[in-house]
Amino acid sequence: MFKKINLRNRTALVTGAGKGLGKACAIALAEAGAKVFILSRTKSDLDKVDKIIKKTQGYSKSFVCDVTDLISFKKILKKINKLDILVNNAGTNIPEHFTKVKKENMEYLTDLNMKAIFNIAQLCSQKMVKQKNRKKIAGSIIHMSSQLGKVGYGRRNVYNMNKFGVEGLARAMAFELAKYNIRVNTVCPTFVETPMVKKFFKNKQFKKSVIKNIPLGRIAKESDVATAVAFLAADSSAMITGTSLVVDGGWTAQ
Amino acid sequence: MGIFLKDISLKNKTAIITGATKGIGRATAIAIAQVGGNVIAVGRNQLELDSLGKIIKKLKVKYTAFNCDVNDYNLMKSFINNLKKIDIFVNNAGTNIPEPFLKVKKSSMETVLNVNTKSVFNLAQLCANQMIKANKKGGSIINTSSIFGLVAGQNRSVYSMTKFGVEGLTKGMAIDLAKFNIRVNSVCPNIVLTPRTKKYLDNKEYQKYVKASTPLDRIATGTDIATAITFLASDAASMITGTSIVIDGGWTAI
Repeated sequence: MFKKINLRNRTALVTGAGKGLGKACAIALAEAGAKVFILSRTKSDLDKVDKIIKKTQGYSKSFVCDVTDLISFKKILKKINKLDILVNNAGTNIPEHFTKVKKENMEYLTDLNMKAIFNIAQLCSQKMVKQKNRKKIAGSIIHMSSQLGKVGYGRRNVYNMNKFGVEGLARAMAFELAKYNIRVNTVCPTFVETPMVKKFFKNKQFKKSVIKNIPLGRIAKESDVATAVAFLAADSSAMITGTSLVVDGGWTAQ
Repeated sequence: MGIFLKDISLKNKTAIITGATKGIGRATAIAIAQVGGNVIAVGRNQLELDSLGKIIKKLKVKYTAFNCDVNDYNLMKSFINNLKKIDIFVNNAGTNIPEPFLKVKKSSMETVLNVNTKSVFNLAQLCANQMIKANKKGGSIINTSSIFGLVAGQNRSVYSMTKFGVEGLTKGMAIDLAKFNIRVNSVCPNIVLTPRTKKYLDNKEYQKYVKASTPLDRIATGTDIATAITFLASDAASMITGTSIVIDGGWTAI
């Protein structure tokens, strides 16, 4: 018996929804029927995503927000009545060799990729726990991790530290939130054609070496990851918690 | 489907499923048929093959039953080699004889190993070869593994040995078959309510232990696993290979 990815009557919040994976996730969740709240620092990006979702008869509402600004995030959360799904996605990367990592870069990445991830997950969980029909309608939190939350890679030491941390957080949260019927998982994509990665791929040599590491021989598409996120958000994955869905074309299998 | 959410459809795809008469295999056969896939069911019980056929034919897809023991290499080989088309192989038939390590009988160890390891390997190889020969477009192979492919459990030494093996095989196959666009993954359920595990779960002590070990506090159903297998079988998972979907309610997260 097959359980469809159906998010009708579910409410989702997606951070970093202006571009790349967050944008794709927001659109995919809306396609599956969810009401989607989209957050980003850049209003013009949010407007574009809003437009796409509305064109397909979906529902979205946008909030300009820097996720490292907790006070402003709390205010936004107050405006939302009900929350079933969190896609904890906002994150970034500044690749540097370990011996050359600048202190301010390490702190910037860690503040966003770990502290903000933790704080937002905690605030949203507190809201999700209080929901009246939570026993009937499961909550689902999906952290955007990475294959680099599973294996190391050159000039990714800070990112590795952050994403391995997210993997640990997801498992602990899954354990503590299970009794509230909230599931917590991560997705671990390989390199995806996003605006962030496109910058790295300007270096043709680098792009070549990445593709060489992916047995399926291609870079992931945003839709590959968005579909996995939608699967984890819906009751199609009702028994899945505290684990990762690796979308890496075989990178970490080797 | 729209822009970023990929449809889970198996229209015009043909799936062969071993151990299809009961439990996870049966649920998977039905799930695959529900999303439009044609089903070739392999099992040892004619009555159950027939009753499964009745359900599947109602879903307007093609159904073929093959009454055969998966350990019978020659029969399986001639059957598989004569198939015109295989897009999906659900390598599911398996067994378990729980015994404490010090008391494991040589005969039971060999029985479990023959089904869970040797036959799993042989059938995977036969199907992969036939996929390459008969279908140039690639395919998807899903091995039914277990949480005991990731962690150990009481009286599960042989089972763990075989399922850890399946995890290794999955990754090895994924690397070798990527160039043929054949994806290979496993699903890792915890204790699922099936005719086989019903025997174990009738023991109140054991049921208590299972529930206590599962943060979501319920026993998985065949549907939970069938949905994940169907997801992996479809193009929605086209960038997923060499990995596992863990469907364990948080068992291995802690």
